[in-house]
Amino acid sequence: MKALDNFKADFENTLQLSKGLIKEIRSKAFEKFISEKFPTRRDEYWKYSDPSSILKLDLNYNDSGDFKDDNYDIILSNGRIVKTLSKFKTGNISDGLDNGDVPKEIFKEEKNPFLNLNNAFAVNGCYLILDSKTKKDVKILNVINNNSDCQAVYPKLIIIAKKNSDSTVFEEVKVVGEGINFVNSVVDIILEDGANLEHIILDDYAKDTYSISNICVKQSKDSNFRSHNFSMGKKLARRDYNIELLGTGANCDLYGLYFVDGENHIDHHTTVEHKKEHCTSNEHYKGILSGKSVGVFNGRIHVHPKAQKTDAIQNNQNLLLTDDAIIHTKPELEIYADDVKCTHGATIGQLDEKALFYLRTRGLNQKEAQRLLMRAYVGEIIDNISNGEIRTRMMNIVLDRLPKGD
Amino acid sequence: MLKITNLHASVEGNSILKGINLEVKAGETHAIMGPNGSGKSTLAQVLAGHDDYEVDQGEVSYLGKDLLELDVDERACEGIFLAFQYPVELPGVNNTYFLKSALNAQRKYRGETEIDAMEFMDLIGDKIKLLNLKDSLLKRPVNEGFSGGEKKRNEIFQMAVLEPKLALLDETDSGLDIDALRIVAGGVNAMRSKDNATIIVTHYQRLLNYIVPDYVHVLVDGKIISSGDKALALELEEKGYDKIIEESKA
Repeated sequence: MKALDNFKADFENTLQLSKGLIKEIRSKAFEKFISEKFPTRRDEYWKYSDPSSILKLDLNYNDSGDFKDDNYDIILSNGRIVKTLSKFKTGNISDGLDNGDVPKEIFKEEKNPFLNLNNAFAVNGCYLILDSKTKKDVKILNVINNNSDCQAVYPKLIIIAKKNSDSTVFEEVKVVGEGINFVNSVVDIILEDGANLEHIILDDYAKDTYSISNICVKQSKDSNFRSHNFSMGKKLARRDYNIELLGTGANCDLYGLYFVDGENHIDHHTTVEHKKEHCTSNEHYKGILSGKSVGVFNGRIHVHPKAQKTDAIQNNQNLLLTDDAIIHTKPELEIYADDVKCTHGATIGQLDEKALFYLRTRGLNQKEAQRLLMRAYVGEIIDNISNGEIRTRMMNIVLDRLPKGD
Repeated sequence: MLKITNLHASVEGNSILKGINLEVKAGETHAIMGPNGSGKSTLAQVLAGHDDYEVDQGEVSYLGKDLLELDVDERACEGIFLAFQYPVELPGVNNTYFLKSALNAQRKYRGETEIDAMEFMDLIGDKIKLLNLKDSLLKRPVNEGFSGGEKKRNEIFQMAVLEPKLALLDETDSGLDIDALRIVAGGVNAMRSKDNATIIVTHYQRLLNYIVPDYVHVLVDGKIISSGDKALALELEEKGYDKIIEESKA
């Protein structure tokens, strides 16, 4: 396979760029990646998204390119840091490993091949330490800068929210230029005891983007993670959330909104591992699909034997605006403790005809009525963002991107 | 204002309206009464433009226009308002935002400038008092969690804000207690003028004690079988529909 040969050549060519701990980590990760078989649609978790389409691409590693934008505190261009502000404790991951800011335990042998692949190409990458007890906002831009026509980029971000810290991280992913991109990104998030972190991610890929994104979160005692995920899919777009509730009293809220049109594809696999007692998780994902787009939602809640008094909620709602749009939605509950509360639900529907008629009898035309109902639909997710400025901005972006109706 | 000539309509192949003739002039209030299943609500829905109903025959002229050629929203913008028998709940749609969007859509259609936020709040402040509704309902999603009476009052409140030329009240009295009925009727009466008209669709004479009609029509099996003044409504209440149907056949 073309891409596998290219991965190998690129890995060998870039290995000498790394020194110290990261070099060893990269080598082990690549060994693991290459020794295991690349997933296909026969694998349960890839049933509806075909990763083998990536293998056919003539991909080349690229981390060059610059970008400037005063609206962001940190900018990564093709995964390489091109802007940071000294007011934040941040830097290149390899330096963080060497100076002790980044614990090397974050890197381990992974089951997921795309985590191993990302680690194998951890030439660059950025870490961010959040230690402020008073609320701090950080804005990060992840630019996919396409100046070669078929490129592979490996953005990597490690966020460590220190004990009792309180922060909001807004991360935007966007593509500049044209061409084919394979974006294999990972965000590792660690919340120490009592840490409070709100993470908002928005992606806006170009049409020929294949994106495999993993967000891995480890939560200690009494930490609180609030996630808002806005995704517009593209050729093949998959984002996984792997949340581990490792300390008692940890809570996570996962909100997601995806909207795809044309022949675009979006896949979300989320896993919440309830490993300790008295943890709560609340997940609410909504989708709007039109054209011939395909959506996948797989939400897994895994309650381990020790995790008594778990309270987990999961809900996925989908709006199909056209006859050809498809959604595959599946809740997956695995419960090994006997004193827990878990609920889940999934719905698929269209805009309510009765509601549309009602709105039209008041003077709104079909398009305006559809948009008003869609605005209400997305508002239920967006309204959960606590930062007013970001909330307003997200509402404007989403309204701008909503299908225009018929 | 409105002239209905030999109107036939059906739903899924079942004929419901079988030749309605009715003329409504500006300033008039007409009541349409009839037993269950006679086609009263269908008439209101057809006039509002619901696509579930197929117009098979007949004409409807409204302010010189062919009403049946207009879309639902165009009819609304031309001044037709349907107060629903079962108002629809709109989760997540704020009542104030909804009303403002509707009013502005109508103003835009008529070539008027959009109303600004301050002016709008003044307008709804006046109207909400008329219907004795709580201010808090304005901040809630449209009709969601409203009581039956609140939903009906909210319909008339919307009507007060949108100031239609022709109001169609579909069973607005159903589910209302006496106090709410008085408030709703008071709201409707306050809006009556020589320039607009009202068609009230109802089962019972009760509402007509409060909103006194100029004309009463009895609709049975898709046809108006008898027309008269308010005395006809009292006669109906006394004798029942069967008697009137028998008399009309004689």
